[in-house]
Amino acid sequence: MKGRYADENIKWIPALIGLVILLPFMLKGITFSYKYYLYILNTIGIYLILTVGLDILSGYTGLISLGHAGFMAIGAYTSAILVDQVGLPFGFSLVLSPIIAGCFGFIIGFPALRVSGMYLGLTTMGFGFIIRRLIIALREWTQGSGGLAVSSPKLFGYTFNGDWANYFLVWTLAILSIVASRRMMKSKVGRAFMAIRDSEQAAEASGINLAQYKMMSFFISGVFAGLAGVLMAHTNHFISTDHFDNMLSIYFIIMVLVGGIGSIYGAVLGTIFIVLLENLIVPVIEEWLHVLFQIEAGDIESLIFGLIMFLFIIFQPTGLYGMWLKIRIYWKLFPFNPKQRFT
Amino acid sequence: MSQLNVNNVTMRFSGVVALNDVSISVNEGEIFSLIGPNGSGKSTLFNCINGFNRPQEGKINYNGYNLNKTPSHDVIKTGISRTFQNIQNVPYMTVLDNVLLGAHNRIDAKFTLNRWFIRSYREKEEALALEVMDFLGIANYESKYMSGQPYGIQKLVEIARALMPKPELILMDEPAAGMNDQETYEIAKIIGEIRDRLGITVMVVEHDMNLVMSISDRVGVLDSGKIITVGLPAEVKAHPKVLKAYLGEGFDA
Ligand SMILES: Nc1ncnc2c1ncn2[C@@H]1O[C@H](COP(=O)(O)OP(=O)(O)OP(=O)(O)O)[C@@H](O)[C@H]1O
Ligand SMILES: [Mg+2]
Repeated sequence: MKGRYADENIKWIPALIGLVILLPFMLKGITFSYKYYLYILNTIGIYLILTVGLDILSGYTGLISLGHAGFMAIGAYTSAILVDQVGLPFGFSLVLSPIIAGCFGFIIGFPALRVSGMYLGLTTMGFGFIIRRLIIALREWTQGSGGLAVSSPKLFGYTFNGDWANYFLVWTLAILSIVASRRMMKSKVGRAFMAIRDSEQAAEASGINLAQYKMMSFFISGVFAGLAGVLMAHTNHFISTDHFDNMLSIYFIIMVLVGGIGSIYGAVLGTIFIVLLENLIVPVIEEWLHVLFQIEAGDIESLIFGLIMFLFIIFQPTGLYGMWLKIRIYWKLFPFNPKQRFT
Repeated sequence: MSQLNVNNVTMRFSGVVALNDVSISVNEGEIFSLIGPNGSGKSTLFNCINGFNRPQEGKINYNGYNLNKTPSHDVIKTGISRTFQNIQNVPYMTVLDNVLLGAHNRIDAKFTLNRWFIRSYREKEEALALEVMDFLGIANYESKYMSGQPYGIQKLVEIARALMPKPELILMDEPAAGMNDQETYEIAKIIGEIRDRLGITVMVVEHDMNLVMSISDRVGVLDSGKIITVGLPAEVKAHPKVLKAYLGEGFDA
């Protein structure tokens, strides 16, 4: 079908924008504790910027990262220092800090040229540890493990204060990230990444410089993670190394896996799913365990996440997005040939 | 004028001598077939030309380019493109995107930036691929995912990808392997058209003797890493060593 290609499924975006604008007002109408839900939505927005970038690296290019919280930390601390200590305007830091995080990605890309699979996972995990040690060591700027207070975002003379303002800042950038990354993955850059993942021979024979594109993927992924870090620092007003521990990196990978690896919408769905689970479902389960069995389930969260990842890998490897595609095709063809499936 | 020159190339893999002092040349505009029993080094020769393997001895030149030194990803810039014996495609990408993969060097950064914002650039990109896909008769597979496509289509998509960079020489490693008679006939026709209509020199590795004999201008025979003979199809067919080595003893020619 000619012409379909040019649309790139972007028809979704207006609906998404509409929903994002309406959602906080709807929540306000429904519940008194809407501020709490706004906070959760902000977390989703920030995390999905990161997971979209992580999906570009791990899903599209096939280079696993278990240290993405490290890139996030670099973005967060760089911005906090640039704005509050160096005195740069927030708008400037919003662009510069992600690029610096991207440069760290570029550096991590070097070992990625030699190792892959599990070894790359361990290398990137080590990177996450090193960044945390580095933050503690540079206490002159970072206040070490005590944490750092961060100012509110200021853009064009406007100060973003409170969950409402933050919500619109975060989600504007989140939607831009989704649109930009989808466009990028549909272009020659995305094709090169996927070719590197599935057939390095085909990639090289087509003229793709493997080293160059692997580094580029790390850079781009670092930029997204850095942007998430900047937003996290300035909307949370406080950052410490505990905000960026290695468990968070693992959660990010779980989000991408559950959503459907190698699709931008998948990363978005997975992030929404996991953050909602963590904030809305897990507390309920903990409560039940306490009331019914008198169990103080301290770390039930990681158990549940681990189980979910396990189940998805075994039964639904294409993730939530793959599930949705199946359902869509089913109804498109219904009642004809309902056996037909997305492959 | 001779285009591709392989001179005294020897390629060893820790003990195995895959190519032993191989010399051949492929002329501009010809269809050159390389035949030989399994494991005789045909694919290895392609890999040497392509920079995937680096021969310990010998020289490979193409139009003044020293291919011994050219990185694999730059070989396409010298005008040499290739397909693979075991299909190398990207399963979770559409057929169209798989074909466009081959246009990597034809699409520059400025174009890529423009295509983010301007729809007509995305259509231009699509048209680029459709031109080649029409030529191969796979245009209606455009928006289908690569995975799940029949084997024959996957082979054609690979040829399409290899044609996208507008090469001067295409190396095809067993394009008809695993195909039925009808599909093999189609492939033979396509190889002819690639040379006649697109003016591309073709070097092809193939086991199907009917195909080889009907399309080739010249045929080279490899056996255990050595070139036995190079010549016209009829000559090669009648060559006693070839009958013995490739077609087996007692072959009824
Ligand atoms: N990367 C490698 N490492 C070690 N040995 C190799 C490698 N590539 C090829 N060989 C060996 O070199 C020899 C030639 O292999 P090659 O694949 O070139 O044969 P071929 O003529 O293409 O055979 P076929 O008709 O089966 O495709 C074989 O003995 C093979 O085992
Ligand atoms: Mg072979």
